[in-house]
Amino acid sequence: MLVVSGLTAAYGGRPVARLAGLTLAPGQAALILGPSGSGKTSLLLAMAGLVDIHAGGVRIGDTDIGALSLAQRDRYRGRNIGLVFQDIHLIPGLSTLDNLLLAPYAAGLPQDVRRALALLEQLGLGDKAARPAQTLSRGQAQRAAIARAMLMQPKLILADEPTASLDDDACRVVGDLLTSAAAETGAMLLIATHDHRLKARIPTVVAAEPVAAGEAA
Amino acid sequence: MNAPKLIFAFIGRKPLTWAFHALTLALGVAVVTALLLLSRSLNDRFDKDLAGVDLVVGAKGSPLQLILSTVFALDTPTGNIPLRTAQTLERFPLFKVVVPVSLGDSVGGYRIVGTQPSYGQLYDARIASGAWWTRPMQVTVGAEAARQLHMHLGQVFAGAHGLATGGELHADTPYTVVGILQPTGTIIDRLVLTDTASVWRVHEQEAVKQEGLTPDEASSHREVTALMIKYRSALGAVMAPRLIQQEPGLQAAVPAIEMARLNSLLGAGTQVLQDFGWGLLALSALGFFVALVSAVSQRRRELALLRALGARPALLFGLIAGEGLMLGLLGGIVGLGLGRAAAAVAAAVSTHSGGPALAVPSFGAADLAILGGAAALSLAASVLPGLLAYRLNASLALQGA
Repeated sequence: MLVVSGLTAAYGGRPVARLAGLTLAPGQAALILGPSGSGKTSLLLAMAGLVDIHAGGVRIGDTDIGALSLAQRDRYRGRNIGLVFQDIHLIPGLSTLDNLLLAPYAAGLPQDVRRALALLEQLGLGDKAARPAQTLSRGQAQRAAIARAMLMQPKLILADEPTASLDDDACRVVGDLLTSAAAETGAMLLIATHDHRLKARIPTVVAAEPVAAGEAA
Repeated sequence: MNAPKLIFAFIGRKPLTWAFHALTLALGVAVVTALLLLSRSLNDRFDKDLAGVDLVVGAKGSPLQLILSTVFALDTPTGNIPLRTAQTLERFPLFKVVVPVSLGDSVGGYRIVGTQPSYGQLYDARIASGAWWTRPMQVTVGAEAARQLHMHLGQVFAGAHGLATGGELHADTPYTVVGILQPTGTIIDRLVLTDTASVWRVHEQEAVKQEGLTPDEASSHREVTALMIKYRSALGAVMAPRLIQQEPGLQAAVPAIEMARLNSLLGAGTQVLQDFGWGLLALSALGFFVALVSAVSQRRRELALLRALGARPALLFGLIAGEGLMLGLLGGIVGLGLGRAAAAVAAAVSTHSGGPALAVPSFGAADLAILGGAAALSLAASVLPGLLAYRLNASLALQGA
């Protein structure tokens, strides 16, 4: 269960964006919609514990993210939240497989090579496992990043603008991929986007509200 | 997936940059290593060859030259002193050991030293085969000289006049090999030892033959080249040099003082090289620092991605420090190898060109200390870049800021 209420994300005490409220049950998906600069990404990162929570709260299951220390947030994120970004997917110089295993490595957890290989296979990247990450196309790299987000069987998958600058076909493929990834792992899925095409796939929509400088949260 | 893999992935993107930085470090380490090794082996060599000699007495001239020629078989002698003077000094109560040394001839480039068996005791020399000489014109040969000259017991050879190869042979007064010494690792390995009287006999024979002197006339001016002296007590150090300086034509040289003087003479050049080595090390540390700082800023987004995957800031610090350490160790190992190779070449050149026979110390604690130093230097250079990674604002980096 994800419960977001009156969440205000802030940098250095300066609030930048607000999300009035959202409740997701396991297996459910939602979009955070808003134009560029509305602070969608900041809200997403606040839920992941990477941006300060200025007001309001984020609960994932029994865990109140705002109540965790910084170190606990890192730990919680590594074990329970899968993140997919718009254009930072893989680390060049490492194989695709190693890029998947970065998740358990960063979280300090045992590395399940078999499961990583199975996920790559499942996402059609079975033949890329040993290839250096920089030889993958952009779309393949994104798929590998989605596989990595699934690897730790997270409670929550957060995706930031995953379909920006994709054509309609590719947009549909990525949308399908994310929803089925979440469904498969039983995770909740939250996508921050300005791409209205995704509404067809994921009808639950909340709006990010930018907080202007000086405005009280 | 592990830290080294990740570090290699980072390094692998700029192999030339990193190779350059590792090489600067390696060169600094090499210069410092080579100089340390050479000065250590030179000091070892001098210490061993000095064998606790407190004072060298010989003809007036350069005291350093007197010591180099008498103790280390390096320079030419300053001249000779009358036998009578030498005999007086031998009875001097302040002296515990007085070893006469007579130089002048050589065989195959190895010096023939006219002396007493007490010379062997100075260096704790032991017989490998045969015996010490008991009569003039018998020689006991040092291990290295015997090996290089292929000498064997019973062999008869003529000495050559002078200390360099190619001198005129004293064919009328041949020597006989009666003993070969075990290796000692000291100067005695490179000497051919005989009785003091042998040297007189060779040269008196020449004088009778060539200058028409009678044997009595020829033997009336017997001399030795120098005396190596060990004191009986500290009192000797206070009194002996002053007493001897008053004798006409005599000088007393204190090895401790002269070696210190030699060190300060050589030291100027060594110091410049050594400073150059330290300068290279400092420069390489600075290079590491600059390269790591720019690496952190180039990798901001990847480091932030690691944070997004749950990595603690300390892991990012560790990755940067690990990268510095890995390069430091690489540079240190390459530098140590280069430095050792350079020292070995220099030692071989010195040994085979009439300089002191240097033996580069074998791998030991000092080498580990150098490696540790290189590692510490590179770690120190990576602390600040590591902190930059530690304090990275992941959320800004992930949003492309």
